[in-house]
Amino acid sequence: MTAGAPALQCSGLTKTFDIGLPEPRPALDGIDLTVSQGEVVAVIGGNGAGKSTLLNLIAGAFLPDQGRILLAGRDVTTLAPHRRAAWVTRVFQDPMAGTAAAMTIEENLALAERRGRRHRLRRLLTGERRKRQQAWLAELGLGLEDRLATPVALLSGGQRQALSLLMAVVSEPQVLLLDEHTAALDPRTAHRVMAATLSAVAERRLTTLMVTHNMSQAIATGDRLLMMDAGRIRLDVSGAEKAALTPEALVERFQIDNDRMRLGT
Amino acid sequence: MDILTGFLNLVPVTLAQSLLYALLVMGIMLPLRLAGFPDLTCEGAFPLGGCVCAALLLAGWQPLPATAVAVAAGMLAGAATALVNLRFGLSPLLAGIVVFTGLYSINLRILGQSNVALFDTPSLFEMIHPALTRSVGWQIAFFAVLAVLLLALLRWLLSTEAGAAMRVIGVNAELAPSLGISVWGYTIAVLALANGLTGLGGALIIQLQGYADVGMGLGVLINGLASLVIGESITGRQTVTRQLLAPVVGSVIYYQLVSLGLSSGLRPGDLKLATAIFVLITLGLPAFRARGATRESIRV
Repeated sequence: MTAGAPALQCSGLTKTFDIGLPEPRPALDGIDLTVSQGEVVAVIGGNGAGKSTLLNLIAGAFLPDQGRILLAGRDVTTLAPHRRAAWVTRVFQDPMAGTAAAMTIEENLALAERRGRRHRLRRLLTGERRKRQQAWLAELGLGLEDRLATPVALLSGGQRQALSLLMAVVSEPQVLLLDEHTAALDPRTAHRVMAATLSAVAERRLTTLMVTHNMSQAIATGDRLLMMDAGRIRLDVSGAEKAALTPEALVERFQIDNDRMRLGT
Repeated sequence: MDILTGFLNLVPVTLAQSLLYALLVMGIMLPLRLAGFPDLTCEGAFPLGGCVCAALLLAGWQPLPATAVAVAAGMLAGAATALVNLRFGLSPLLAGIVVFTGLYSINLRILGQSNVALFDTPSLFEMIHPALTRSVGWQIAFFAVLAVLLLALLRWLLSTEAGAAMRVIGVNAELAPSLGISVWGYTIAVLALANGLTGLGGALIIQLQGYADVGMGLGVLINGLASLVIGESITGRQTVTRQLLAPVVGSVIYYQLVSLGLSSGLRPGDLKLATAIFVLITLGLPAFRARGATRESIRV
């Protein structure tokens, strides 16, 4: 880790799927992005804009065609997902994806805490670890702190997503990726999980990339807003400029871009 | 009455044998239930363990190192299946078939002929206590202690960080990498562990019986699966401990049932059909009952 380096640096990232097809469509078309330590960035964009591809490249789910990815100054472009897990964590849209259902809450959390470190031949669950877990779960305010030995399969979607979030933050990664992580929840639960997210991120000063479809949320949340379209970053605002945005202005911007896409220019 | 007497006379021998076969059932259960990998390698790893051990004993090796090498050979066979699946993308079932098919030729090469007798060679049992070669009671005690020791070892292993990481592969393989768990590493490890147990089973049984046969793997898979299913119906699968007990309990009951069948006049040749039908009914009944309702796929 290089001290003082930005938490995340992407340079010239491109990715095209189905290269063999007559008209290959780039999913990412030259992304340059620098995110400083502790910055919270909301990412919006229509379907196929490249948001998920960007997150997948950063997490290592697949390799970019070109370009480099640096996490805190360290080049992780070709590092296997399980090897970069110490520095980058992710919460998915699907509440089932982020937890091991047949295992208990305490087992899930303990594995998350050990994320990125060697799995030793030492007992996974210790009294000390349980105490820490109870404190974390109490912060969520969902009453899970008394249910450590409950299999995750018995939790509701919202509870599972809150646990996924907790699992993603307790190892204090360099970069936290949130991939529409409240989109599959009912409005009330989504609100709760989002509130828990913001307080967990603020408390640990985590650098965060949050993909969302909710434009008011994107404007209200975080320090910076990116709008992606056709594999490029079309809008990158922060500070006062971001605060002055309205969902209406953004929708307008979306349609312009969508029309342009349809016309093929 | 003759049938019953015949069966009862066989109970101790069958019990000793079934406790030994429990090793193999553990080898089938570990990848299948804890790592979600239906592994068929045992059909080749079991005779591999037997053939390697027999060949080394005939070459003048001491029983302990010969058995250890047999375990290592089983582990290699398991790792081979894992690599065929991971590197070449064959499904777990196909990977197992490829490996155990290839192993048949290898086993024949190792043994040099299709079967050998081990009259003059020392055995592990003789080494531990001479009574083990004669007394069935001693054998039962020995295999029971071995099973308990292995269960305790596995129970401990699964409660460690590495053991829990291994279980994640079976529960949610997509999640594993993002928790820093290498799917490759743990799949290879669990298959090596499982087939090491199977190889140990093979090495012990040839030393107990005093002969080795390349065909000794034929049908061990279906017997093991039947044992596992019976065990699970009794112990359940809710906790790791219950899941671990299932192979031992199941093996003990299954081989007594087989013995009862044979005592009551079932032809040995018909045994496989009976076992196949039994496994089909046990595993298939839930899906059969669910017809009309939403069908669930059968989880083997």
